Amino acid sequence: MDPEERSPVEEHVRSVVRQFIVDSWLSGDARGFDDRTDLLESGILDSFATLSLIGFLEETFKVQLDPADVNPSTFATVDTIARLVLQKTST
Amino acid sequence: MRLDRLVTSWARRSPERAAVDGLDETLTYAELETLANRFARAFLAAGARPGDRVGLHLPRAGRGIAAMLGALRAGLVYVPLDPGSPPARMRLVAEDCHLRHVVISPTLLARWIAAGVCAPVEHFFLSGEGDVDVPGPARAHPWADVLAQSAAPVEPPGDSPDDLAYVLYTSGSTGVPKGVMLSHRNATAFVDWAADLIALGEEDRVASVAPFHFDLSVFDVWASLSRGATIVIVDEATVISGARMLDRVHDKGIRVLYSVPSALVLMLETGGLAERGAPSLRSVFFAGEVFPMKHLRSVMAAIPQARFHNLFGPTETNVCLAHSLPGIPRAEASAIPIGGPSCGDLATVLDPEGRPVLDGEVGELFIEGPTVMLGYWDAGRRTPARHPYPTGDLVSRRPDGEFIYHGRRDHMVKIHGFRVELGEVEAALNAHPRVQEAIVVALEQQLVAVVVPADADLSVLDLKQHCAGRLPKYMVPGRVQLVAGLPRTSNGKADRVRTREALLAGDSSVLEAARRGP
Repeated sequence: MDPEERSPVEEHVRSVVRQFIVDSWLSGDARGFDDRTDLLESGILDSFATLSLIGFLEETFKVQLDPADVNPSTFATVDTIARLVLQKTST
Repeated sequence: MRLDRLVTSWARRSPERAAVDGLDETLTYAELETLANRFARAFLAAGARPGDRVGLHLPRAGRGIAAMLGALRAGLVYVPLDPGSPPARMRLVAEDCHLRHVVISPTLLARWIAAGVCAPVEHFFLSGEGDVDVPGPARAHPWADVLAQSAAPVEPPGDSPDDLAYVLYTSGSTGVPKGVMLSHRNATAFVDWAADLIALGEEDRVASVAPFHFDLSVFDVWASLSRGATIVIVDEATVISGARMLDRVHDKGIRVLYSVPSALVLMLETGGLAERGAPSLRSVFFAGEVFPMKHLRSVMAAIPQARFHNLFGPTETNVCLAHSLPGIPRAEASAIPIGGPSCGDLATVLDPEGRPVLDGEVGELFIEGPTVMLGYWDAGRRTPARHPYPTGDLVSRRPDGEFIYHGRRDHMVKIHGFRVELGEVEAALNAHPRVQEAIVVALEQQLVAVVVPADADLSVLDLKQHCAGRLPKYMVPGRVQLVAGLPRTSNGKADRVRTREALLAGDSSVLEAARRGP
C-alpha cells in the first residue's frame, strides 16, 4: 500500500497499536519492528497476549470484536490490525 | 489390561452414542471404532512394526483420537506433537524417537515442508482433505487412503500391559525436549482410579480442554472412552476466552472438567462465572499449578453442586497424589493439601541423604507404584526410570497422611500449567550468536529473559523471533530485558535468585540497561 494514501486516522490507529505492542511485549525496544512484522511467527503474540491486545483495542477505539474477527490473518501484523479496527469503527 | 481394549465393548453396547463431540465432526462409538481400525490398517500397510512410534500433529479432534486408538490397535506407540511448536522442534522430537509415521493436518505438513524438516519421517498420513507434495523419499498418504482401508479389526498384537503405549515430550533442562515413556499399565492405573473416583458413566460429557501432548488429556480421552462417556472438544481459542469457555460448558452440558486452574480463573474473571454459574458440572479436577486460594474459593462458590479434586503428579508418574475437597476452604487457609497417595502408588518423603523425614518436615517426594513411567526417551536412547521415582517436588506430610507442596528442588517452573525447564529456554537464548549470557526466571505466569548482549545491535525482536523458531509458544519469554551485566554469586555464577528479586523490585541498580545500537 502506498503510504501517501493513508488517512490521518489510519496513521493514528497504526501508531497507537504499534506503541502498545512495543511497550507491552518488546520492552520498549522498537528496533527491527515495523507495521509488517509478523506478530505470530515472531513470538510476540501468544494466546494470552492476544487476549490482552483485544481488550486494549476494544477499550481504546470503542469497538466490539467478535470471535470471528480475531484470527491469524486479522491479527497478523500492525497493518492488518489497524485495518480491522478501521473497518469496525466505520460500521 | 491394554488401553485400547477398554473401548471395544462400548462400540457394541452403545454404537450410536457420541464418543467424540468435536467442533465440526462428531464420532459415535461405532464410527470411532471403524476409523481406528482403518488407521491401524493404514499404518500396518505402510510397514509399521510393533513398537514403532506414530507422531500425531493435528488439531485436537475426533480424528486424532481415532489415530491414537488405531496406533495402539496395531501395537504401535503414539506420540502427540504440540500443534503450537515450531517445525524445528518437531524435527528434534522426530529424530529423538525415530518417528517414521506421522498423522498430520495438511496445514501443518505445509509448515514442515517449508521449514525443510521432513527428513526423518517416511510416511505422512493426512488427517483431512487436500493434497500436499512432500519432498522424497517421504510419502504423503491422502485422507481418502485411510478411509479406503477395511474397517475390520486387525489381529491384536501382544497383550502385555507393560508395553509402551505413548510418549509425551516435555521440556528438558539441557536444551532439548525429552520424552516420557508410559505403558498401558501406567495409563490404566490412573484412568481406572479416576473414573471410579467420580463414578464416570455413559451419561457423562467430559470436556477435552488440555492439548494431547499434555498429560491431563489422558483422563479426558481414555477415562471417557473406557466408561462409554462423551468427549466434548473445547478448542484452545475457546479456552483462552473465559466467556466462550463458559458458553461451551453451558451449551454442551459439560459434566466433568479437568483443567489447569488458569482456565477456571479465566471463566471467573472474564466469563461471568460468579453470576452465571455452571449448573451442568458435577466433577471438577484441577492440576498443574497451585490454585490461588481466593480464586479457588470464588470458583467453588460459583459451582456449588460440583465436587472438586486437586490432582498432583509430574508427567513421569501421572497423578500420584489426590485431594478431594470436603467443601470451600476457609478464607484464612493458606493452601490446600495436594492429597494422599492415589492410583495404587506409595509416596515417601526423603532428605538429601535418602533418609525418610518426620511428619511436618520438608523433603523430596519419591513415588513407587503402577503409574511410574517406564523411563525417558532422551537423546535417541531409552533410559529406565529410577525407582522409587524422585519427583523433584518438595513436600511435607501431615499427620493425617495428606501432603503439602513447598515448591521445586530444581529450575522447573509452570506457565499456565505447562512445565518449562528454565535451562531449556536459556539454552535457546544462548544459541543466538549475539547473546553473551542469559538468565530466565518466571514471574507471575510469565517467563522473563534477562540477556547480556554480545554487541549493541541485538534487539528484543531478534531474540523473540529466534526463540519462536525453536521453542513452543508457551516457552517464548513474554518479556525480554537487555542488561549490561548479571548479578553474580560468590563463586562467580550468574545469580538467578538475585536477578529475580531485582526484577520484582524493579531495581535498576542491579540490572543496568544494556547500551543499545540505533
